[in-house]
Amino acid sequence: MSATQFIELIINGLITGSIYALVGSGIALVYGTTRVLNFAHGELMMLAGYGVLLFAVTLGWPVLLAALATILIVMLLGAVIQRVTIAPLLKREDWAFNVVAATIGLSIFLQSAAQLIWGEQFQGVPYFFNGVAVIGEVRMPWQRIAIFLVALGVMGLCALVLYRTRLGRIIRATAQDAEAALAVGIPSGLVHTAVFAISAALAGTGAILLSPLVTVSPWMGASYLLKGFAVVILGGLGSFGGAVAAGFLLGLIESFSVAFVSTEWSNVVAFLFLIAVIWARPEGLFAGRGA
Amino acid sequence: MLRLEGVNVHYGATRVLWDVAMEVGAGEIVAIMGPNGSGKSTVLKAAMGLKKPSSGVVSLDNEELQNKSATLRPKRGMSIVLERRRLFPRMSVEENVMLGAYTRKPSEARETFRWVLDLLPEIKPHLNATAGKLSGGQQQMVAIARGLMANPRVLLMDEPFLGLSPAMVKTVCSIMQMINERGVAILFNEQNAKLSFSMSHRGYLLESGRVVLSGSGEEMLDHPEVRRVYLGIRETAA
Repeated sequence: MSATQFIELIINGLITGSIYALVGSGIALVYGTTRVLNFAHGELMMLAGYGVLLFAVTLGWPVLLAALATILIVMLLGAVIQRVTIAPLLKREDWAFNVVAATIGLSIFLQSAAQLIWGEQFQGVPYFFNGVAVIGEVRMPWQRIAIFLVALGVMGLCALVLYRTRLGRIIRATAQDAEAALAVGIPSGLVHTAVFAISAALAGTGAILLSPLVTVSPWMGASYLLKGFAVVILGGLGSFGGAVAAGFLLGLIESFSVAFVSTEWSNVVAFLFLIAVIWARPEGLFAGRGA
Repeated sequence: MLRLEGVNVHYGATRVLWDVAMEVGAGEIVAIMGPNGSGKSTVLKAAMGLKKPSSGVVSLDNEELQNKSATLRPKRGMSIVLERRRLFPRMSVEENVMLGAYTRKPSEARETFRWVLDLLPEIKPHLNATAGKLSGGQQQMVAIARGLMANPRVLLMDEPFLGLSPAMVKTVCSIMQMINERGVAILFNEQNAKLSFSMSHRGYLLESGRVVLSGSGEEMLDHPEVRRVYLGIRETAA
């Protein structure tokens, strides 16, 4: 393998990993703060895919405006989903299983609704950025570079909010002890809603960045949900930073397994790695560094 | 000031408090004593709004609070030091303490922060330390500091001496006295009868979720039942 191929593998791994990190960090943020595993997270991605299709392609809005509108709508949806389906269940003593059942049900409902509304066809979104960047012998489409940079920027912004703002302090306090947070006057219910909205924004950003590369369909989010869960487990349940690091790691593993094994086997290699990590370090690679 | 009347609490189908009535007057130290599982912590959680009573009244200065959110209590002048400190373990000591003033204006919070550091100078050197890495005694200081940041008129303390060394128990006792001397009423619970009633103006004995005895600290310590069951003193016939 030449040095150029090696560099390309790393860059491709980081780009794929940035999407996994976006999806996984959203799931981790929700789990870390509310102890809820949201099985409808992938469908928020799917809805964002249709959102960008509607605004950027059908209505012809500028890409940035279409992306912002999509993210705002998905954030609102995330908040509504939390208030309507999850918050009432959290008041019950036996909420843990009920919430899992509710989010799986919601996922099926949203997929079926998407099939009814938009049909079963796969729809393409054109590249937001055309052309190819050439650095030495390495060639990379600008669209893929943009995915990496935007994902990195959005996750950086999230980390900034979490660790440098009053909202972040409130979210971290609620994540570490919701009852103690409530006792000092923090409305933990509203914090949970805000966290769902932020998580939805991360999923939406991932979907918007991905939409030109993978087609938009009712099943768009399903495989990414699975990868998102893998990332959350690898990173240590509920750890935002852990999920980001694990997302990049999973992307790199996939990228190298495509080159050294085969495309068909890349998922197998990635999940074998996940099983090995669970066996050797059940708490995850970066456990104890939660939100 | 703080009053509980006919308070009943259920966990699922299990009733854990039975018509509990208690009162804390301005500037008082009031102890709730009772064995493990008698419902002491539940009384404090019901008062603080962390556990909703199935019936009964919780009021502060005649304002009924039982149906209102726990988030309202700090604004009304009530705060709690939870059992086993319950700090935000991965946040710094300063962040923990400042979050105690969540409901207050930043300028007021800064003023109270200075007052709290004067009262508890032990935490000053640890302000940037991660709260979860402090010793049990140091964590209790931080938890008390966080409770005081709401500038409460009534401070609830759930098992404030749990897991502390005898020397640290003495320190926490004297801190509680100092807080009380500054006009803050304290309602705390504890399993040790001598410790509870010797430092309190009044006390309640709770058994199986029911108040079975109440009186001044001295009366409680002199009560034959308390002496026999909780102090292990056998009365000998004259």
